[in-house]
Amino acid sequence: MAETAAAHARVLDAPRIAAAALLLAAACLPLLRHLPPQVSGFVGLILLLRLAALRWPALTPGRWILLPLSLAGIVVSFDAYFSFAGRDAGTALLATMLALKTLELRSARDLRVLLVLLGFLLVSHFLFDQSAWLALYIVALLVGEVALMADLAARPATKPLTTALRTAGLLTLQAIPVALVFFVLFPRLSAPLWNLGDQQPRHVTGMSDAMEPGSVAELVISGEPAFRARFDAAAPPQDQLYWRGLVLWHYDGRRWSRAGPGALPEARPLLTQAAGQIGYEVVLEPTNQPWLYALDLPLAAPEGATLNGDFELTARQRVTKPLRYRITSATAYNTGPLDIDQEAAGLQLPDNVTQRMRDLVATWQTAGADPRQVIERARAFIRGSEFYYTLLPPPLGANPADQFLFETRRGFCEHYASAFALLMRIAGIPTRVVVGYQGAERAPWGDWYLVSQAEAHAWVEVWLPGQGWVRVDPTAAISPQRIDRGGFLERLSAGTPLRFHMDETGLLVQTVHRLRLLATAAGVAWQDWVLDFSLGRQMQMLEAVGLGRLREYGLALAMVILASVVLGLLTLALVRAPAQREPLERLYQRLCERLARIGLPRRPGEGPLDYSERVIRARPDLREGIEAFMVRYLPARYRGLGPGDLQALRQRLRRLRLPTAQRSRGSGH
Amino acid sequence: MRSLARRRFHAWLRRAPCDTQGVARIGARQIYILPTRMGTALGGILALMLVGSLNYQNNLGLLFTFLLGGVALVALHHTWLTLLDLRIHARGGAPVFAGQRASFAVDLSSEGRRARGDLSVRAAGEAHPPLFLPGAEQARAQVGVPSQARGWLRLSEVRIDTRYPLGLFRAWCYARTDARVLVYPAPAAQAPELPLAPARRLGPEGGLGEGAGDFVGSRAYRPGDPPRHLDWKALARGRGLVLKQFGGDQAVEVWLDLRQVPGLDLEGRLAQLCRQVLAAADQDLAFGLRLPGLEVPLGEGEDHKHRCLAALATFGHG
Repeated sequence: MAETAAAHARVLDAPRIAAAALLLAAACLPLLRHLPPQVSGFVGLILLLRLAALRWPALTPGRWILLPLSLAGIVVSFDAYFSFAGRDAGTALLATMLALKTLELRSARDLRVLLVLLGFLLVSHFLFDQSAWLALYIVALLVGEVALMADLAARPATKPLTTALRTAGLLTLQAIPVALVFFVLFPRLSAPLWNLGDQQPRHVTGMSDAMEPGSVAELVISGEPAFRARFDAAAPPQDQLYWRGLVLWHYDGRRWSRAGPGALPEARPLLTQAAGQIGYEVVLEPTNQPWLYALDLPLAAPEGATLNGDFELTARQRVTKPLRYRITSATAYNTGPLDIDQEAAGLQLPDNVTQRMRDLVATWQTAGADPRQVIERARAFIRGSEFYYTLLPPPLGANPADQFLFETRRGFCEHYASAFALLMRIAGIPTRVVVGYQGAERAPWGDWYLVSQAEAHAWVEVWLPGQGWVRVDPTAAISPQRIDRGGFLERLSAGTPLRFHMDETGLLVQTVHRLRLLATAAGVAWQDWVLDFSLGRQMQMLEAVGLGRLREYGLALAMVILASVVLGLLTLALVRAPAQREPLERLYQRLCERLARIGLPRRPGEGPLDYSERVIRARPDLREGIEAFMVRYLPARYRGLGPGDLQALRQRLRRLRLPTAQRSRGSGH
Repeated sequence: MRSLARRRFHAWLRRAPCDTQGVARIGARQIYILPTRMGTALGGILALMLVGSLNYQNNLGLLFTFLLGGVALVALHHTWLTLLDLRIHARGGAPVFAGQRASFAVDLSSEGRRARGDLSVRAAGEAHPPLFLPGAEQARAQVGVPSQARGWLRLSEVRIDTRYPLGLFRAWCYARTDARVLVYPAPAAQAPELPLAPARRLGPEGGLGEGAGDFVGSRAYRPGDPPRHLDWKALARGRGLVLKQFGGDQAVEVWLDLRQVPGLDLEGRLAQLCRQVLAAADQDLAFGLRLPGLEVPLGEGEDHKHRCLAALATFGHG
């Protein structure tokens, strides 16, 4: 039965005010991490006051308290930023004002204002964080917002909010295809219209421009994605995937750092030979640093970056959001001759070189031994001695290289690279340390290779006459038996030497590793298809359907057409849905259709009883069959469907034979 | 000037016609729809969100903006669908005296399972609280329309408004109706004395006449008795045809005649006649009504009163 609303005009009741306040509180929750504590505190206090005032109405602030409260809110958020403009200050002010608005929710109109503005607060979250989880959370809040709108518009009012929630869920589901059409086809700006950029650099894990014991291990433990790459052709083998980052020249006895400004004159990247060229695309996660990564050795800098004589890539700006670049590297190369400054820097020694280091090197420098033999002997020394590879090395004192080489012999890649480089310098071979990443994992789908911080690595480059700078990875020289498999090294699936012996690890480790890879790949898909969807991608799509010449107009045209089609289909589905009657009605409908075929259509407005009587009068020979149906149908329709009714009716309808009328029998006209 | 433009515009609007049974079905082309104030505000906020997301090149913000915009667009279609295929059947209520409110019953019905909410019926400027149709249902709105002049008061059209489901858009439509309510003339405050005349037929029992006056008893029906004196209640109780007998010394007949009512304008005289009819009916007199070209024969009772009032209401209206 349809009911009539007794109360026409709606004054907001407590459950609705509470629902609005709770929705706002939920909307402010993710902002806690980004807004200063005094703003969060103020918003929280106001919302608490709102909820408390519902329980104890005496607490409801009057006009003369609301005004100073509003001023206080403005002061609090201004005090935090000294501005109302920009992302952070704007969001803080909006959250404060919306919280204050909940204190004066009197009429439906107040709530409408709140709900409309809430949409803006919800979208502002994505300026701070763009994770898939947050997006899901915000969409849930959107359903809540729409539910409150539906509840407000439901006149006469429905009691529980669940009805409105169902309506909102349904509307949101139906809106998804429309939103996708707009999202894919709405032309993007290729450059911002204005820059409000007050975005503070957030802390991100990534390489620093120096290396000391423990610095790379810290990165590996974080395990966050670093970048990913897609090769134009087949990917190079794993043992060639050395992603070059920074070149460190200076060793002070504990810490490796880059050559200070002016220490090395700006050299041009020079290759006397470059073969095995490979092109690829890299998407770098934000690092807050300007350095880019490329396979050994990049041939030219991508747009917006420079390549220096050490083959380091430096972007013009710090990388604060995911950056895409294309680059070509040569896997076989010769960097040519060494200039005098480089030689001096490559042989620089700290002042804490000990005698036993020199003695050790002297054992390799037999008469006539060329640098290649010295390097091979040094590698053999690491392989043959009790050197262990572990993420949890014992702490090292003032002379870490000495202590590591002769006492602890347990360390991670930076220990090996550091000590090895020092030994090479003692041996008179120009040496430098390179930090970057080693290896890459194929994504479970797509043709991307993922590189996470777990792949952070440090290795060494030595200069050999006739060959130029040559990569040597001392970590790879460790005997596989001496890799620490007990610690959490494996569970982190970190550690370069492990990569070469992956099949030896246990099933559990592999499963965990796969799961992690899968999560990374999901993140990649999110990044690729949602966050990085750009005008360029749109143009590619447009070109694929042959409309590339239309540019943005083509996109807008396609968007309007496709959105209309989607909405049209939706409307059609909604209009046609009611034609689907209840099963009981469908059976009756079938009977009517069959009777219509023998020339006895139901008249508009004719009830089943009148209709069947008329049919029987016209065709007495059908009496039995029609009555059999009606006897079961009428009680089912007017008294409610009983068990077995549908079954019986279906059977009776099937048995009903409807021969066309014979002249002699046709009567009752 | 403005009201003229408004009238022209109003006449130009499309209305759903009603069929011979008086049922109007709302078609697609008869529905009007505009955003509400809330819808306009949301549109503004959406535009801000769009520009902001585009400028920050924030795809997630764009996606969310489009989702909220999509919800609004889908809601627009739902609002429109709330009126589509709605059936409207208006019927007039009991007759009223001019100046009183005439009551109309407007039945809204729909087929199918689609819920239709917030249906407010508006007739001649009078709104009814909104109705909700949860599916294939019927709901009734009673609307009162002030009557002004005697005659048939027709409800030429009703307006149905809805903002279902989100209140972002308001859809409305006009449906023609054939509903009408008979409006009697408003009884004049004062009227001449009833022209009492002695009953023409006196019974043989010395004044105990039959025909009019007080109820005196029952007797069995004889062919030729006036059917309006049949005791229908007794018939229903299974006591057969029984005649109610009225009579008394005071039994008089009254003829109310327009020509005997003073005054210049017709409406004023009809109003006086109306008062007289009411007075005569009040006193349970047998009375008849004579209008130029029309005569309601002698009679009494509620039905007779209404017959006379109806004659007054439609006199001169063809």
